[in-house]
Amino acid sequence: MAAFSFTRCLVRSYFCVKCVDHVQTRLQTTTRMFCVSTSRSTQFTDTEVQDILTKITGLDLKKVFQPIRQQLTPPKYKLMTDTELEEAVRKAEEQAKHLLKMPPVLPERKPINDVLSEDQMLEGMNTAKYVFTDINFNVPHRERFIVVREPSGTLRKATWNERDRIIQVYFPKEGRKITPPPIFKEENLRVVFEQDRHEDVLNQCVVQFEPDSAEFKNVLMLTYEDIEKHGKYDLLRSTRFFGGLAWHLVNGRRIDGLLVDMLQRDLMQDAVRLVRLFNLVHPQSESAQHAQRQQATDLNLLKIYAQYESNRAGFIELAVQTYEQTKAPSSF
Amino acid sequence: MLFYTGCRLLFVVAIGQSFACKHLNQHEGLFTRFVLQGIRDWKLISSAAPGLKFRALSSSSSSSSSSPPSAENTESPETLSRYADRPWEYLESEEYIERYGSKPVWANYRRNHKGGVPPQQTRKTCIRGDKICGNPCPICRDPNIIVHYKNVNLLQQFISPQTGIVHDPTRTGVCMKQQKLLNKAIETARDCGLLAVQLPHVDYSKEDYSNTHGAVAPTPAPVSLRSGELWYSWYGSIKPDERELARVKRIYKDYLKPDV
Repeated sequence: MAAFSFTRCLVRSYFCVKCVDHVQTRLQTTTRMFCVSTSRSTQFTDTEVQDILTKITGLDLKKVFQPIRQQLTPPKYKLMTDTELEEAVRKAEEQAKHLLKMPPVLPERKPINDVLSEDQMLEGMNTAKYVFTDINFNVPHRERFIVVREPSGTLRKATWNERDRIIQVYFPKEGRKITPPPIFKEENLRVVFEQDRHEDVLNQCVVQFEPDSAEFKNVLMLTYEDIEKHGKYDLLRSTRFFGGLAWHLVNGRRIDGLLVDMLQRDLMQDAVRLVRLFNLVHPQSESAQHAQRQQATDLNLLKIYAQYESNRAGFIELAVQTYEQTKAPSSF
Repeated sequence: MLFYTGCRLLFVVAIGQSFACKHLNQHEGLFTRFVLQGIRDWKLISSAAPGLKFRALSSSSSSSSSSPPSAENTESPETLSRYADRPWEYLESEEYIERYGSKPVWANYRRNHKGGVPPQQTRKTCIRGDKICGNPCPICRDPNIIVHYKNVNLLQQFISPQTGIVHDPTRTGVCMKQQKLLNKAIETARDCGLLAVQLPHVDYSKEDYSNTHGAVAPTPAPVSLRSGELWYSWYGSIKPDERELARVKRIYKDYLKPDV
């Protein structure tokens, strides 16, 4: 399967000719593979990676179902038996899992520079650009043709920014503005980060931008950097963005802060899972190789990581030792 | 001075009984000036009489100290207040806390209107040019309260804490001009991220992000036909009706090529 998809995406990247797999691409809801260099490495969408990330994120029902500001209705009271209560809690957990679905991590979209025709005789006829959009209702937005006739006569496909703006004009999405709001400017972001409202910024970003756009990635990166700088990992725990944060840190090989935070909060299993994710993503690193050789599990993984890769080795080892001494050895 | 305080008390009590504004206009110009200044400097009558007396005395002392510049105060209600550059500082000052406490600025304001049901729109504006109306709205009556998008604490007072909706002007009593300014400031504050916004949940499961369609990918090169290949594959498989073919051949016999 991996080999097949590798060859398929090789074909796609180098011979980019026929879009034969329309049916397949529509059914496929996952991301495009990194076709060029890292085709065999772990991706964000691998089941094991997703599993680890969801488990690290946790499921704090009180935080996920925090009362939001909305039109108030009178409260409803129900009398339930124990079984009914368990059933209700189970349904709430399923709803919470749906709400905690992570926004996809995609490669940045390639700019569109496609000229359809050059008509010199139309030069100077108009002073403004004309945008022609296909507004059929049943067409997915990524298959919608949007072309621009420049005053110089060239007919070209619209750029990604223009596409987003035009689609927002004709098919407005709730919460999205046509021009990005000033919250995403540096100075405003700084103010919001000081108020510890990273989740609000990320929600705004997710609503405003497409997940493969440059601005989306930039805002996410800035938020993650700020969180890592101040160690405010707990703000995003049990939200849909924690997975993205962990992935970003693991790819940048900077999981020390997050590990220390987890150990301070006695989340041993989460720390072990994080180190396992690190080993998956960087199989050539020393800690991964040693772990592979020794077939290490659980706390030994932590010890190996602390020994070979970490900058805060002392703290991690101390925490592991205290855990082993104080708590009875529990089965993971 | 005593007469002055007496007049002020009378005036304040008259307002409490919601007398109409035209009573004011019948007084002399001098008294109107004092009254205008009284509106500028008055302390609120929220508590019982001892509190009232204390406030009246303190207001008289403050008015006596500030009476020399009273001329420029009453000239235009739009004089620049001390907090014009940083309006949010006023909400932490002693003046503000003494005047409003922890309640919102519109808490003790009561509109004057006929009958039990108030008009569904408040007045258009309290300040026209130089003149300020009687019983101005909670924002216009205090020149230090400035509606600015950075003045988040003030804006929060006009938003319901449970629903997040901006209060109606019939509830807060502000004039329509100030309400418009408030709406704009709240929208700007929300855009800049100073106020919390409730956003819908975005679902990513139904979208396809492969970007392979011709609308967003480079246009594929045109397909060139190999020899013998038909443009549409079904061209070759259609067979015409024999009798139709014979009929057409008979009609155009003279124009057909010899081998057909």
